[in-house]
Amino acid sequence: MIGPGERDHRIHAGPDPVVESRIIWLAAGLVVFFGILGLRLFVLQIVDGADLLDRSVRNSVRTERVEAPRGDIVDREGRLLATTRPAYRVSVIPSELANPEKTWVMLGALLDLDPAAVAERVGTPSGRDRFRPIVIAEDLDRAALARVEAHRHALPGVVTDSRPRRLYLDGPGAAHLLGSIGEIGARQLETLRAQGYQPGDIVGQAGLEAGFETHLRGRTGGRNRVVDVHGREVEILDEIDAIPGGRLVLSLDLDLQRAAVEAFQEGASEAAPRAGAVVVLDPRNGDVLALVSQPGYDPNLFAGGIDAAAWSALRDDSGKPLQNRALAGQYAPGSTYKAVVAAAALETPGFDAEKTTFCPGYFRLGTHVYRCWKRKGHGAVDLAKALLRSCDVYFYRLGLELGIDRIAAVARRLGLGEPTGIELANEKSGLVPSREWKRRNRNASWQKGETVLASIGQGFNLVTPIQLAVAYAAIANGGERVVPRLVDRLETWDGRVIRRIPSRVDGIAGFDPEQIGVLTDALVQAVQGPTGTGARARVPGVQVAGKTGTTQVVSLDAVEKFAAGEIPMRLRDHALFVAFAPAEAPEIVVAVVVEHGESGGRTAAPIARAVLERYFEKHGRPASAGGEKLATR
Amino acid sequence: MRLVERRTIQDFDWVLLGLAGALLALGLVNLVSATHPGEPLVLSDGVRRQLMALGLSLTVLVAILFVDYRHFERLALPLYFASAALLVATLLFAPVTRGAQAWLFEGRFQPSEYAKIALVLAMAATFARYPAGEITKLRQLGLPCLLVALPVGLIVLQKDMGVALLTLLVGASYLPLVRIPGRSWVALGGFGVAAVALIWRFGLAAYQKQRIFDFIDPSRDPLSSGYQAMQSRIAVGSGGLFGMGWTEGTQTQLRFLPTQHTDFVFSVLAEEWGFVGSALVLGLYLAMLLWGLWIARNAKDNFGMMLAIGLVGTLFWPAAMNVAMVLGLAPVIGVPLPFFSYGGSALLAACISLGLLLNVSMRRYVY
Repeated sequence: MIGPGERDHRIHAGPDPVVESRIIWLAAGLVVFFGILGLRLFVLQIVDGADLLDRSVRNSVRTERVEAPRGDIVDREGRLLATTRPAYRVSVIPSELANPEKTWVMLGALLDLDPAAVAERVGTPSGRDRFRPIVIAEDLDRAALARVEAHRHALPGVVTDSRPRRLYLDGPGAAHLLGSIGEIGARQLETLRAQGYQPGDIVGQAGLEAGFETHLRGRTGGRNRVVDVHGREVEILDEIDAIPGGRLVLSLDLDLQRAAVEAFQEGASEAAPRAGAVVVLDPRNGDVLALVSQPGYDPNLFAGGIDAAAWSALRDDSGKPLQNRALAGQYAPGSTYKAVVAAAALETPGFDAEKTTFCPGYFRLGTHVYRCWKRKGHGAVDLAKALLRSCDVYFYRLGLELGIDRIAAVARRLGLGEPTGIELANEKSGLVPSREWKRRNRNASWQKGETVLASIGQGFNLVTPIQLAVAYAAIANGGERVVPRLVDRLETWDGRVIRRIPSRVDGIAGFDPEQIGVLTDALVQAVQGPTGTGARARVPGVQVAGKTGTTQVVSLDAVEKFAAGEIPMRLRDHALFVAFAPAEAPEIVVAVVVEHGESGGRTAAPIARAVLERYFEKHGRPASAGGEKLATR
Repeated sequence: MRLVERRTIQDFDWVLLGLAGALLALGLVNLVSATHPGEPLVLSDGVRRQLMALGLSLTVLVAILFVDYRHFERLALPLYFASAALLVATLLFAPVTRGAQAWLFEGRFQPSEYAKIALVLAMAATFARYPAGEITKLRQLGLPCLLVALPVGLIVLQKDMGVALLTLLVGASYLPLVRIPGRSWVALGGFGVAAVALIWRFGLAAYQKQRIFDFIDPSRDPLSSGYQAMQSRIAVGSGGLFGMGWTEGTQTQLRFLPTQHTDFVFSVLAEEWGFVGSALVLGLYLAMLLWGLWIARNAKDNFGMMLAIGLVGTLFWPAAMNVAMVLGLAPVIGVPLPFFSYGGSALLAACISLGLLLNVSMRRYVY
């Protein structure tokens, strides 16, 4: 034992008495300090405890929305047009990455991505952002998902999940009627917030998707998850299941829709794409059996949120693929309007359908000469022959006799000049010119020459393809103006019927049966007759009634300087054709418009025939149809 | 010659050992929960490493008991300069981790933890030679101030502001013992304010200033550095009176608490053991530290007394700063809680302090 004092006596001194007495100060300091800590502990745990406990619970329980899959849209036979499928995603949670470089390389190899691009996408988030997943790849196929899953153990911080994603099975075929979906806009959100919509929600933006948004949407579910600070799930506390959106059963017949698209595109080429529309109605109840607008677009492009480049390409496309021409395309009806003029004539007292008019190939009014489409003239024609051969001169004279207002009144009774009321938005009204209309809108008095042009559906007249179909349906069904009905019923996702949409008639044209009979016979002649302009719409075994139309886009003089077949596309005439069948008990109306199709008889009529053939193939030809007998009448 | 005199064994301080042992045991139990959320029966690697560090620390503690503390009086200055040399070596060789440059040997050794003890030894040796009670003039504090300034300055250069502050406070623990007149206290105060201003201007990194702002108003940016303090208070508060139970704290087990096994380990305790448990631990600390002062009071010589006072300081200041930080009474500074926080260097340093205190205590009657 070594005594310290043995070396240095000064430090052998006993404890410093001053210090010894002051140690109590230090002790007091300790007690005070720990007293403060204890008091603080008491305040936090006992006084504020409940409030802080509440925050602790909120801290660890995360409420999240569970998206409901959007409802299916099916045709009248239950075939899927639009459905929802899971889309798999791969995301990265930066805070959980063990070895970022290795992860980028592996993800790159597994998903066929550039590792540098993956790294750039993740970036270097800081703060709480490090705990948020960053989506690396969306809408993976199952094989790619399986590859990632198989390597999960080597990829800490990489997570996969799935979101419902819209799928349109027929692609562009029914794009315009189905419409599209997209992220909710700021203005939409304002009006829809009350219904539980939130930023980032996907809503119907056009077509049926927009029109039946509330039905298709379903009810968003919720889930309270206990998570740790990394957002990793520890357990699920409770869950409110999402209710899938309801099914929409259409009146549409997918077979006819496809037949119409196919026939429309036949004869079209890359260099000369076809634009126009086909509307197929059941004249008995207004069922829309097909509604085609061409060119189309792939609605699947919108399903995952369309990118800006694809969107502007579609929007700026000169072919206007986003426009639904069946509803919003307004065309001069041309000779298809002659049926309307004929109907007006047939109810005019003193009109004699048998009375003939001589067609020399032109008609002179004052100093102006109006030509018939056939330069040599049709000779002596009565109403039936005039419709059959589509003689312009006959109708010039007839129109002048009737006057524009009488024609306009009948046109309106047939549904022209106003929207038909189909369930889709953005329908156009078309235009039925009259004296009143011209005074109001042009502040000018009506000219006789304008009646001449209006009588053959040129001049101011404008119709939409669906109006044309409705007007001819009214002729076919004896005068009922039906409202086109695209949706048959609303069902729950598992097929219970919620609501049936009844057929509606929004007006009676008020024709007498004899008048209809004469008109129908004449329209049958126009197709079935030996010199009928609509001969290319004939379907074996079925009486087809129809009317062609070929409408000038520019004045004849402008076109005549070109040799036939060399007229530039944009100057060529529009081709129209409207038909119904079987003539004796019509079940189907087809209206076809082919922009710049040049000839209603040659271009539009075959498209109608394809649809009619498909229809009668499915439903059988009417047993009583004495086709030949009627044709020779 | 006997290794240890019988008297020494008879006078062994079981009270201090018992108090410290209780804290060590509670600290380990708490660490099991803090490092292995949800699976208390599986010892995490962290707990394993801490147990190994504890074994080493207790060995060192026992070894210290065999050496009469009075030998350390002679060894004080050599140890002091050795620790200063280690701090310089750290500055020269250590990599920068988490903003500070404080770790040697691949992060296993933190010289600044031991600098406190070396400082206390040097201070005690100095005051043994020049008794604190006889210091009546400011300039007589020159030597002790220089002794404090060297390690504190070196630790400031490492950018480890928390430990620098701690070391400074440990040195300042001796101040109440000197008898300088009032105007000298004013002068010291002025010097302190100037030093704080200088450190604020030149010594603190942006994130450190941020922490101080966050302390003043924790809600100003709850997602940045105030987040830790906020989460910590939520965890402490949700403990309530009896706590959620061991390994049951939701904040802890769900890892909402950052650095919950090191600097914020007390909030795990507070959440899971409630007011009862955490007040008990604070009480154990207070009892242990008061007992340490009792040892100083009973020390047989000036060196032993001054040493014991300083050693109490080395245990008190980190505990006080840490708990104050966890309870939101002080800014977030990286200071571990002795006996509770995960970390071998801090545990070894605490055990050395404990060993020296026991050493002083057991030799209170030996001459």
